[in-house]
Amino acid sequence: MAIIEVNNLSKTFKVKLKEKGLKGSLKSIFKPKYKVIKAVKNINFEVEKGEMIAFIGPNGAGKSTTIKMLTGILYPDKGDIKVLDIDPKKERKKLAYNIGTVFGQKEQLWTHLTPYDNFKFFGAIYDIPEVRVEKKINELKELFELDEFINTPVRNLSLGQRIRCEIVASLIHEPKVLFLDEPTIGLDPVVKENIRTLIKRMNKEYKTTIFLTSHDVGDIEKLCKRVIIINNGQVVLDDSMENLKYHYLNKKIVEAKMKEKVNLDDEEGITILKDKGYNLKIEVDTKKRSVADALKLLNPDNIVDINISNMPLEDIISTIYKNEADK
Amino acid sequence: MRKYLFIFKSELMSNLQYVFNIFVGFFGYFIMLFILFNLWKYMYSDPNELINGYNMSQMTWYVIITEILWMTLGGRKLCRKICNDVRGGNIAYNLNKPYNYIGYCLSGHLGSIAIKGLIYTVLGMIMGFIFLGNFPDLNIFSILAVLITGILATAISILLITFIGLFSFIIEDANPFYWLYGKVILILGTVFPIEYFPTFLQPFLTFSPIYVVSYGPAKLFVDFSFGTFASVLLAQIIYLFIGYLLCTLMYRKGVKNLNVNGG
Amino acid sequence: MLTAVKNQFKISFLTIKYALMREMLNKVTFITNIIFMILNNASFIVQWIVLYSLKDNVGGYTFKQVLLLWGMAAGTYGVSRFFFKKAFSLSEIINNGKLDSYLVQPKNVLLSAITTDVEPSALGDLLYAYIMLFLFGCTFEKFLLFTMFIITGGLMLTAIAVILGSLSFWFNKTDIIADVGNSLTTNFATYPDGIFKGIVKGLLYTLIPVGIINYIPIQVLTEFNLGLTLIVIGFTIFLVTLAFVIFFKGLKKYSSSNLMIARI
Repeated sequence: MAIIEVNNLSKTFKVKLKEKGLKGSLKSIFKPKYKVIKAVKNINFEVEKGEMIAFIGPNGAGKSTTIKMLTGILYPDKGDIKVLDIDPKKERKKLAYNIGTVFGQKEQLWTHLTPYDNFKFFGAIYDIPEVRVEKKINELKELFELDEFINTPVRNLSLGQRIRCEIVASLIHEPKVLFLDEPTIGLDPVVKENIRTLIKRMNKEYKTTIFLTSHDVGDIEKLCKRVIIINNGQVVLDDSMENLKYHYLNKKIVEAKMKEKVNLDDEEGITILKDKGYNLKIEVDTKKRSVADALKLLNPDNIVDINISNMPLEDIISTIYKNEADK
Repeated sequence: MRKYLFIFKSELMSNLQYVFNIFVGFFGYFIMLFILFNLWKYMYSDPNELINGYNMSQMTWYVIITEILWMTLGGRKLCRKICNDVRGGNIAYNLNKPYNYIGYCLSGHLGSIAIKGLIYTVLGMIMGFIFLGNFPDLNIFSILAVLITGILATAISILLITFIGLFSFIIEDANPFYWLYGKVILILGTVFPIEYFPTFLQPFLTFSPIYVVSYGPAKLFVDFSFGTFASVLLAQIIYLFIGYLLCTLMYRKGVKNLNVNGG
Repeated sequence: MLTAVKNQFKISFLTIKYALMREMLNKVTFITNIIFMILNNASFIVQWIVLYSLKDNVGGYTFKQVLLLWGMAAGTYGVSRFFFKKAFSLSEIINNGKLDSYLVQPKNVLLSAITTDVEPSALGDLLYAYIMLFLFGCTFEKFLLFTMFIITGGLMLTAIAVILGSLSFWFNKTDIIADVGNSLTTNFATYPDGIFKGIVKGLLYTLIPVGIINYIPIQVLTEFNLGLTLIVIGFTIFLVTLAFVIFFKGLKKYSSSNLMIARI
């Protein structure tokens, strides 16, 4: 059963343009000028229960707008949304009881209170009885390893600790769908990894459906089995992570350290990415050329060290963005 | 002197873009004056009746002038800026610049309020004429006298507020002192002329800054005499001198402490 | 339905409590703010002493009634700015997309947004209001009536602020209009209505309802009148309802922070 259904969803913004100076100010009051921006154009997709889905795209692609419409923040212009069979437009409050949101750039916690008090506050917001809140806090405290700082005011916590608390705060009411918007933004790699592990554990524990937007390929690669890519307000790709990778898996990256200099030029199926004499980086399109062919070109006897890898997801995604832009 | 003129000019130019906000701000001034105009209309059963030597039209004009002086001044902003300069260490940065900090404050702030003063003056005159249908007896001398004393009044206010602001060399936050100063000017110097207060208070008020920063120009506008002009001008020059002296002393003392503490 | 209302009240109460706790972190600033506001209000008494030395009756008010008028103005101002501080910067909240976090919560968006901050100095206004009531002459009934009137007045001031702030859903640069509108009610509130005549007086009982917020309560506190009391209550309900209707109508136009991004 689909837990999120989006049909022909569109949203346009009328941006007021402001001119400089007194004249501009007066003008903008009496005769405002508008620029129409189509943020989301007719998009469709579905998300199944328990899925962890990545919703990605470059800045200004329409991801935030979409996620805001799904969570009831923005009114769509056209199209239908059903989240847990609830129309966010009509039953915002009912939806709110059933979903959780974490916006990495926006804090919802009171910084002068401890995480514990914050969680209690969120318990009250979602009308959860005292006893159940206590139980839930204890449970999430274990899962997210908050023991050390659950009684320290939020303003004294590190960014990573805060994000963990933000996530826990959004889970107090046991939402069936969790929207994570850039949850790891601004965190260092170790903390990022830690957050990912926790999210994964949580998904496993509660079968929560997770709808994730992120610029961080690591987030997407480590967490999600399915990817939706959006660009210029349209869905340009909706596929499993496997397929996405497989589709581009025919491209291998060969990095080699050589004994002697080799002179290579681009040819059918082979692209030189980097050539610094002794250090080479080439891309092999295995549909056209086998890796063995490429190695022959390099002369195996001459190789000191070699590394053959798949194309990084980051590059795959940017290739897709670029292809779309070219169209 | 030329560099202070330049500071004045550049502050004036950068404030040109806020003209719209000045017009909106004037609306608040208009409402206040409208209320006071109604108040005086009520208080005077006959417009020609004299209360403490003023008729109704004179009372209204008096408040129009004092309120222009007060609203234009922007004293809170100035005091906050100086406090921040002192607290934030901006003063230390200014030390090795080839100008006098007091002169910088004076010319800079005058520049930033010049346009506002002009707009308020013009609109205030129009508004007063619409309310009352007449001007007080004016001639070229009285207009000049009001302009000169008005500008001097603003300069003195700026110096006094700078002095208060520089207090933050000694205490954590000088803003409450400004608040107190502002309250005194507003309550004892804006709504009523000095003649309205009990006789025993009047000498104190005459020698207080109120006489030079608000009473003087307003009195000259509603009831001009060369005698009043001479005494207001003399008092203003004395105050200008005292104000500058106080600021300089305070600044020197503060900077000395700053050097000792290593900024 | 009833539990929903109860839960809503519980949340608003908690929010205000936590916001107050935040302000009290710096106790010296907190108390200074309150004291200065009381002194600020008190300083204006000088003006009235001077005026009453000229006449026994200004605009139909005795000196004591003017004190009560000041109390009423400070009290209504205090209630609105203490409990609903953010209503007075609603334009900014809307323009900067700060409603997002309240929209994902299953509670009333408007109430969540405007109760999220308190103004400590407004407590000074509230204290001052009751000091004035005691100077006017306080009985138990008057205490209750006065309390009711500063609540209704505070609600009306808040409702006006919400209506003006909600204009930002539709129009540009209305924050200045909202500021002007809000200061209008405060400016008129401290002068007796007897000094105004004609159209202005009409305006004070309709578009700028200072008459209903301040003048009628003074009349009722001087001599009780049930009809007038009901008018105040009725108008409060009307304004508050109107505020909610307009806000939620505008909310459909809410554009979160998307406009900001486009502006850059």
